[in-house]
Amino acid sequence: MFFDFSKVTNWLHGWLTGFMPEWGAILTESALVLLAIIALYAVFAIIMIYMERKICAAFQCRLGPMRVGPWGLLQVFSDVFKMLTKEIVNLRKTDMFLHNLAPFLVVSASMITFACLPWNKGAHIIDFNVGVFFFLAVSSIGVVGILLAGWSSNNKYALIGAMRSGAQIISYELSIGLTMLTMICMTGTMSFSEICMQQYEHGWNIFRGHVPAVLAFIIYLIAGNAECNRGPFDLPESESELTAGYHTEYSGMHFGYYYLAEFMNLFICAGMASTIFLGGWAPLQIPGLEGFNDIMSAIPGAVWFLGKTFFVIFLLMWLRWTFPRLRIDQILSLEWKYLVPISMLNLILMALAVSFGLYF
Amino acid sequence: MNEEKNYFGELFAGVKSLCIGLKTTMREFFTKKITEQYPENRDTLVMFDRFRGSLVMPHNENNEHKCVGCGLCEMACPNGTINVKSEFYETEDGKKKKRLVKYEYNLGACMFCQLCTRACPHDAITFDQSFENAVFDRSKLVKVLNQEGSKVQEK
Amino acid sequence: MENIEKNTAVQPEAKAEAPKAPDAVAPKVVKPAVAKPVPAAPTTPAENALDLVELTQDNFRQTIEADYQAGFTFLECLTGMDWGEEGLGVIYNIENPETGARKCYKIKTADRVNPVLPSVCTWYDIANIYEREAYDFYGIKFVGNPDMRRIYLREDWVGYPMRKDDEPEKFNPTRMTNEPLADETSGLMYDEDGVNYHTERSKIFEADDYVVNIGPQHPSTHGVLHFRVKLEGETIRKIDPVLGYIHRGVEKLNEQMTYPQTLALTDRLDYLGAMQNRHALCMCIEKAMGVEVSDRVQVIRTIMDELQRIDSHILFFSCLAQDLGATTAFLYGFRDREKILDIFEETCGGRLILNYNTIGGVMADIHPNFQKRVKEFIPYMRKAIREYYDVFINNVIFRNRAIGVGILSKEDCISYGCTGGTGRASGWHNDVRKRMPYAAYDKVQFNEVVRTEGDSYARTLVRMDEILESLSIIEQLIDNIPEGNYQEKMKPIIKVPAGTYYSAVEGSRGEFGVLLESRGDKSPYRLHYRSTGLPLVAVMDHVCQGHMLADLITIGGTLDYVVPDIDR
Repeated sequence: MFFDFSKVTNWLHGWLTGFMPEWGAILTESALVLLAIIALYAVFAIIMIYMERKICAAFQCRLGPMRVGPWGLLQVFSDVFKMLTKEIVNLRKTDMFLHNLAPFLVVSASMITFACLPWNKGAHIIDFNVGVFFFLAVSSIGVVGILLAGWSSNNKYALIGAMRSGAQIISYELSIGLTMLTMICMTGTMSFSEICMQQYEHGWNIFRGHVPAVLAFIIYLIAGNAECNRGPFDLPESESELTAGYHTEYSGMHFGYYYLAEFMNLFICAGMASTIFLGGWAPLQIPGLEGFNDIMSAIPGAVWFLGKTFFVIFLLMWLRWTFPRLRIDQILSLEWKYLVPISMLNLILMALAVSFGLYF
Repeated sequence: MNEEKNYFGELFAGVKSLCIGLKTTMREFFTKKITEQYPENRDTLVMFDRFRGSLVMPHNENNEHKCVGCGLCEMACPNGTINVKSEFYETEDGKKKKRLVKYEYNLGACMFCQLCTRACPHDAITFDQSFENAVFDRSKLVKVLNQEGSKVQEK
Repeated sequence: MENIEKNTAVQPEAKAEAPKAPDAVAPKVVKPAVAKPVPAAPTTPAENALDLVELTQDNFRQTIEADYQAGFTFLECLTGMDWGEEGLGVIYNIENPETGARKCYKIKTADRVNPVLPSVCTWYDIANIYEREAYDFYGIKFVGNPDMRRIYLREDWVGYPMRKDDEPEKFNPTRMTNEPLADETSGLMYDEDGVNYHTERSKIFEADDYVVNIGPQHPSTHGVLHFRVKLEGETIRKIDPVLGYIHRGVEKLNEQMTYPQTLALTDRLDYLGAMQNRHALCMCIEKAMGVEVSDRVQVIRTIMDELQRIDSHILFFSCLAQDLGATTAFLYGFRDREKILDIFEETCGGRLILNYNTIGGVMADIHPNFQKRVKEFIPYMRKAIREYYDVFINNVIFRNRAIGVGILSKEDCISYGCTGGTGRASGWHNDVRKRMPYAAYDKVQFNEVVRTEGDSYARTLVRMDEILESLSIIEQLIDNIPEGNYQEKMKPIIKVPAGTYYSAVEGSRGEFGVLLESRGDKSPYRLHYRSTGLPLVAVMDHVCQGHMLADLITIGGTLDYVVPDIDR
């Protein structure tokens, strides 16, 4: 009864193979998916920038953008337009090739991870049996881009920012990996579609896995926030210390890519949290309440997914706009002295829970 | 043992302080916003009566002002903002008197120290509450304060 | 509201006089000619005139050494002077921070071509930077100061502009080249014999040092301030402050202005202490002229000073939060500061440039709404401070970033002359309001907020507690504003009797002093401001060493300097 997006894709495939060979159909489908990803990527970036401005303003007793369009709705569009028209400044004494390559590495890493998100039942773009593993591996490409940016800019601020970023992201991958491992321990699969399917059938992981899952969720949020270089972990680009950190020397759309990637990484981080902990596209189901469950199932999976994702984004923005920035040594000690030990213990806890069948 | 206590004590105290912070910002999330939407609220925007916008010379309904052209304000000004041009003329009964010809005021150089208004013995000049003083050319900031054809108010 | 303080009306003068008593050396008093005999009132004529003791090159170092050993460890003010025919010289104000005893010395040299005076660097750390200022403006070279670079003006500036015979415009066209910044410096150092001297060169930075520029355009230097920071990894090894990006020559300008005109520039020094700065200058002139302002004015000035202090401390909190990435706390501070600015605007007509105090009173009487608004503000602010604690100060992240970071010992504070909240966080009782009460501070009860930790967190807490103290001062006064004139009648042309005068107020970030030398003209012969921020910048190198780059921001934020006040 729950809408399955694979009906659409199967129909499309059938229709395309009707008048072109198999390879042609797959090529066309890939092109369509590519367009869809890029379009969604841009749309969500715009939504998120607007959302961040308004939410940040509300936390700060302000109204946020109000001037361009009603309620400032067109502000982001005008900003994007401005960024597109700005000159990309080439600097002397920089490594031009790496300097220009770096933003693309960052943005492509975030686009590929973006493609891992389960939008709906049957609407997984990249989905195979080691999906989680793939996700972790690809998301690490971004740090290469950041390090390259810092190095190739030939700027001291940028270099310090990049080094901070490297240390920070590589450390926090550990926590992310461990929390994901904790959840895989329970689900028994690394495929995102199966993780979602399980949650559709048995309930969301955060409820199924109770204490260890909640702990893992919190650790994931903290580590994910750090992974996105967002406050309170925004010290690679801490503007009051390093002016703009690793992207100090970028201008125009090259800077825009970093900006975009930062926002989309937040979206991906939140999307992953909702996939692994909050059921992805799976609707809220309470055993015993048939009528309620029917209504919930009537809401499309994509809405569920986006709703959960934006809820997590709101949580992260709330954190971002409340806390001051940490110092680099504190960020590392938070990771190595608190998060890693706790998530290791949590992993054992989850393993025990799973082996004794103490989950729902 | 003590160290472990510190470890967990610090952890919980830290988390508690973070939660208090989150609570505070969430409360502000729902409070009334303080932004003033300036060009839109022009009608309701009232400046305080002592606000120093720019120097003016009030004229009454007969196009008369109080300035006698003594130049005390010009002398008091630290920036040379004011330039008073006056001339002598002969009254009907043959006395020589001074009268104001042109009162030039350079808003761009004024630092609103009020020395001119304090120096004025006749209260001929004062500050108004206008604050939208932006112009495209600096020369437009030089204003002539006495109106065309105005003359000094007779006591 | 009762004035619990046992002070009588005579008390303030008695207290102000007291520090002068222990002067060991017979003072060469420069007494002003008093315009009118003062009736039985307890005012002594020109109570702020300095008892300048002239030292010679021969006995200078021995005298300073003896005084330093006797506890005069605080160099309050060092003023370069040009006495024309008599030559160039320096006025020193030193103080014993334990007893509050004060001494003033002057020393001069008749050699205008190559003026050389002994340095006091050995005793006072802050002298290094003060002497650079004197060198910059007067060309006086100090033997024993290893770093004789210009401080405010460009290194390729020709001439010494504060000398009365200098023509700055003649040799200094607007230069279109970049400002040179030397990595090398030189100074005159004594030979073994302690009499002769030689030039000694030293490096500020080596060629292979990793030097990062923080500023002049940088979000957290609170203005156009430039630090050259030598890093090792992220650890700071050395800081060289480069000043003068907004040097406007206020002191030089003052020498051509009449006294009322000089007032207008004080608001533009430390823009967060506009009230107090102007108060200091007005008080200095009034006391020098023997003008006594009414109690009403005294009380209004006190209230305004305290409002300004709250304003400044809120901004301190906001900017610190902003620098550390807590943008939301920043806006909470600005939201509340707006209320004070409204109060100011209603009465003074300005928000930042207040333009309120005048010689002999205030510009206008308080606005009819003033008391009502202030009374509304007090409980509001108390509530707001709790929010500051909740959202930022008690936050574990901030605590970790501030506790134990940038510890200044009391001795360092005194030696560097770091007054205000910075000094008080290190346990130095330096509040001018207590040391030399002025205006209505002797009539109110308040505590001098002092902590002993001396770290960034203590500096923050001191400011927060000072807001509460200021609120309580205002609360005591706001209903008890006595009747009286808001402006004494002054002559149209104000002339200060000849003499040298010094008055200080507790500014928002320390002791703001005015040293005025008058020759009886309608404009000052020399007007020197004791900057509150300059010592705070001077101490940065000392306090940041060994800390991380991110701590520079915390330390700079909590030291709380304002650049226009440093550069003047």
